[in-house]
Amino acid sequence: MSGRSLPVADQAQVRAYARRLMLKYPKELTYALGMHALAAVAGLASPPLLGRLVEGVERRGGVDVPLIVLAIVGFLVAQGVLVKLAIFASSRLGEKVLAELREEFVDRVLSLPLSTVERAGSGDLITRTSRDVSALQRSVRQAVPETLIAMVTCVFAVGALLIVGPLLALPSLIAVPLLWVSTRWYLKRARDGYLRENAAYADMTEGLAETVEGARTIEALGLQRRRHQRVDDDISRSYTAERYTLRLRTVWFPSIEVGYVIPVVATLVAGGVFYIQGWAALWQVTAATLYIQLLIDPLDRLLSWIDELQVGGAAMSRLLGVANVPDDRVPGDAVPRGEEIVATGVRFAYREGHDVLHDVSLTIAPGERIAMVGPSGAGKSTLGRLLAGIHGPREGAVTLGGVPLVDLPLDELRGHVALVTQEHHVFRGTLRDNVLIARPEADDEAVIRALSAVEAWEWVEALPGGLDTVVGSGGEIVSPAQAQQLALARLVLADPHTLVLDEATSLIDPKAARHLERSLAAVLEGRTVIAIAHRLYTAHDADRVAVVEDGRITELGSHDELVAAGGSYAALWESWHGAGTERAPAPREPAAS
Amino acid sequence: MRSLPEADPGTPDLRSPSRYLLWNVRRQARPLTIGILLAILWYLAQAFVPAVIGNGIDAITAKDLDALLIWGAVLLALGVVQAVSGVIRHRYAVFNWLAAAYRTVQLTTRHATRLGATLPKRLSTGETVSVGTSDIAYIGSAFDILLRASGSIVAIITVTVILLVTSPALGLLVLIGVPIMVVAVGPLLKPLHKRQNAQRELQGDLATRAADIVAGLRVLRGVGGEPVFSARYQEESQRVRAAGVRVAKVESFMEGAQVLLPGLLIATVTGVGATLALGGSITAGQLVAFYGYALFLIAPLRTLTEAADAITKGHVAARRIVNILSIEPEIKGGAGTEAGGELVDTESGVAVQPGMFTALVTDTPEEAIAVADRLGRYTEGDVRFGGTPLADLAPAEVRRRILVADNNARLFAGRLRDELDITGEADDEKVRLALRAACAEDIVDALPGGLASHVAESGREFSGGQQQRLRLARALLADPEVLILVEPTSAVDAHSEARIAERLAAARKGRTTLVCTTSPLVLGRTDRVLHLADGVVRAEGTHHELLSRDAGYRATVTRGEN
Repeated sequence: MSGRSLPVADQAQVRAYARRLMLKYPKELTYALGMHALAAVAGLASPPLLGRLVEGVERRGGVDVPLIVLAIVGFLVAQGVLVKLAIFASSRLGEKVLAELREEFVDRVLSLPLSTVERAGSGDLITRTSRDVSALQRSVRQAVPETLIAMVTCVFAVGALLIVGPLLALPSLIAVPLLWVSTRWYLKRARDGYLRENAAYADMTEGLAETVEGARTIEALGLQRRRHQRVDDDISRSYTAERYTLRLRTVWFPSIEVGYVIPVVATLVAGGVFYIQGWAALWQVTAATLYIQLLIDPLDRLLSWIDELQVGGAAMSRLLGVANVPDDRVPGDAVPRGEEIVATGVRFAYREGHDVLHDVSLTIAPGERIAMVGPSGAGKSTLGRLLAGIHGPREGAVTLGGVPLVDLPLDELRGHVALVTQEHHVFRGTLRDNVLIARPEADDEAVIRALSAVEAWEWVEALPGGLDTVVGSGGEIVSPAQAQQLALARLVLADPHTLVLDEATSLIDPKAARHLERSLAAVLEGRTVIAIAHRLYTAHDADRVAVVEDGRITELGSHDELVAAGGSYAALWESWHGAGTERAPAPREPAAS
Repeated sequence: MRSLPEADPGTPDLRSPSRYLLWNVRRQARPLTIGILLAILWYLAQAFVPAVIGNGIDAITAKDLDALLIWGAVLLALGVVQAVSGVIRHRYAVFNWLAAAYRTVQLTTRHATRLGATLPKRLSTGETVSVGTSDIAYIGSAFDILLRASGSIVAIITVTVILLVTSPALGLLVLIGVPIMVVAVGPLLKPLHKRQNAQRELQGDLATRAADIVAGLRVLRGVGGEPVFSARYQEESQRVRAAGVRVAKVESFMEGAQVLLPGLLIATVTGVGATLALGGSITAGQLVAFYGYALFLIAPLRTLTEAADAITKGHVAARRIVNILSIEPEIKGGAGTEAGGELVDTESGVAVQPGMFTALVTDTPEEAIAVADRLGRYTEGDVRFGGTPLADLAPAEVRRRILVADNNARLFAGRLRDELDITGEADDEKVRLALRAACAEDIVDALPGGLASHVAESGREFSGGQQQRLRLARALLADPEVLILVEPTSAVDAHSEARIAERLAAARKGRTTLVCTTSPLVLGRTDRVLHLADGVVRAEGTHHELLSRDAGYRATVTRGEN
């Protein structure tokens, strides 16, 4: 059940992709970085000016206060304007890149190979679409620009410090090992710690949601105490995870904070000594001390955004990884002659060595209605997927008009065969949009015809908005049964020659379902229908019935033939129909059970 | 710090949201007080830094090396105090955040389980979802901010006093200037928040669109339509981008203003200060200190703004929590007990005889659900259990003895075996038998870890039919005195249904069972069938008797076909 996970891109791929993105808009990038650099430069003007003032005060004159203050104000205005321009430029670029990133991701998802879509559980893909996309958004919107700005500012501040007095920059270096070692120590552990913390927190809120949503079941089954226990355990796990990252911060925070204060102290004291010794002027000492203080903020930002960058990188590798799924079909150029579907000697396994279909052969004539029945787990759905060209057989072949289905290009394949499962997804949008998916150009008349064919037009018409009613998440609620009707209407509109219906009416009230199937059959006259049946009347109404048991077709023939043959289908029919003996024998049980 | 969670979250004060928050404050008064004291210490250590640097500069201008070294040492000490108190404060802040949030989770869970079936009737899913996604975090944040907000207030007062004592003129300038500066960006806040909200909304829509595509991917890849959805996504994505740029426009203004406004104040302070210093009323060091104060005050003032926001949000969240916690269970009962016996619903005339396998056939599923809900006392009705009105029995007693298993019942996340055997008492053989009766063995066999596998939330990795069979196995393992099954095989194939029907009868042998179904495969295995029409029992007998003599019955169970 737990679907295979999708691949994850490696570091090199992520780096190459990031580089490509960075260099895709060189003009915008250069402009944004240039503005940030100019803003940083403008911000570095005040300390030496303040230094001059201090010097003037110390000398009791010789300084033009209004001029210096005016200069400070001038630089500030410049800095303010530059910051505004720089941030706007980088945000605009960020939004552009971000939009491209997510659009490319969705396109990658939309071109995932059919067999992967059908097999991999959607959980992994949903996580990537929601959590990873938003992690990347945070990264691109905040972490990337913050670190870039911080880096630019740090470089210029250090540069200014060196210009003001190279000697005065030296004492600060004693803090570097402390910052370096503690940050490395922290970063090594932080990512896993925070991932665990988030996962534990999500478990807890999920447990809460589950309790609230399943309240009736909890009452019915007397699960109260279990739920209390579950939530308390979740909290306990969340607390343990929180404590771990808290421990990391308990070491890292004071280390870096002391790391910030040491240079300030060192510069002040050393600067004082230099001044007393006559090696440096008072303005230099003042400016250097202020520069060191100015450095703290960008440095702190730099350090605190690094792990967010890591998270963004990990998200990116999962988003890119979706493209690493190898394509499952190499289209040939053979054109099918006719619509006859033939399976010969088909074997198939999801896991190597575990065949779920053993030497299945079946010929389906164009326009034939065939029903497949059999116990769950016997391989009906798998056979249906093979007949719909979703998976290719491990051995043997499934051909359409002589051409293997998996050799057909996807677009071509869809024109011939379509699969409808019991899965009932209603897309967000109008009812019309939901039906139009396969044929966007169809007019309302065609949509209404399709809806009528599946007996859905009556309730659609009754909705206040009719075809314009918005359904799907956040819209009008559509029952699972109605959703199945929509799925069928979609198919009717798409009008492929062959339809594989895998329990496509299982959620519809039995009585209504039979009605629907009859009306559908009328519309699909002349089309090939392979129905994996859930109810026996579907088999009864079909041209031929195939009984699938343990990965093999054990009985094949018309309803009447099979009933006359007296096999497992006959037994089932007897007990279902109640026309037989008082207590009909149960169908043959597989040897395994 | 204590360990979390608390064994007993206590009984909250639900008279108002504020009282709920205050009640929480009392529950964690000690860590809260310690945290506040540490926050004050932490902010004070920062508040004294400009003064110390100023004194250091004065020592330098006076060429007094000893004094310089002393001030250097004081500065370092302040730094260490700040770092240490800062991190311990942080620890307490996190603890207080978690303690309040966890307690709310515990209270909500406990109350939800007490409400049971009443909850979904009284609360929309939207309301319940917001509890988990945002409300507990808002309540946590309200507690977290209390610490820093207290520290900020003390720091602001301290700096005010220092400034006024050193130079009343400059002090006043800083005191008036800083709040003006913080308020000055105010006009930008409203458009910023508006645009941010608009962006967030569009972003949420876009995320929903993406989730929609993923959830419906099978359909899209199966029948086509990718270009349409790709184009739609792109369109919405570009709308989010445009909204992001609109936010950036205001945000960049704001960032620019936040450089410019404090800068102008600092320049003014510096100019006035320099003039004063030249006149000799303050020292050069004090000039540097004033520059530092003007810079420092921005942070505590911002914290106060942040606090106002966080506490408002916490209050709103508390209101929602209080609303949920104030709901009372709808179904009340007596305290009586009853030996058991026939279960009779007077309104419909449905009588479930003890030890029998009875079936209820209705024309529409809703009728059956209505009867089942009355018999299980989920809705009020004149129902007697062995002669005693169900309403006179203790609700817990009713739940323990009569189990209504319907298709809306939920599978919970956890180890499969634990989720099936809810009593925790069944041995492996019993679990195996229940799985066999529900024809669910193949589901377990297909799982890599078998019964030890983890089930995802609401069993969403299983198909509808698989979920149904697992739910049936769970109901059988619960082994209640009276089991009422609503359409237990509606989503399984005919082969499995036939097997389930046969095994179900055997598994419930000697126990009281009512199954609401229209499946002839199941009906043929029951002892007695009741046919309900227009809400009352019209006919009863065995399946075969009714088939031959009740035309309406025949039409219902054979779907109008012969």
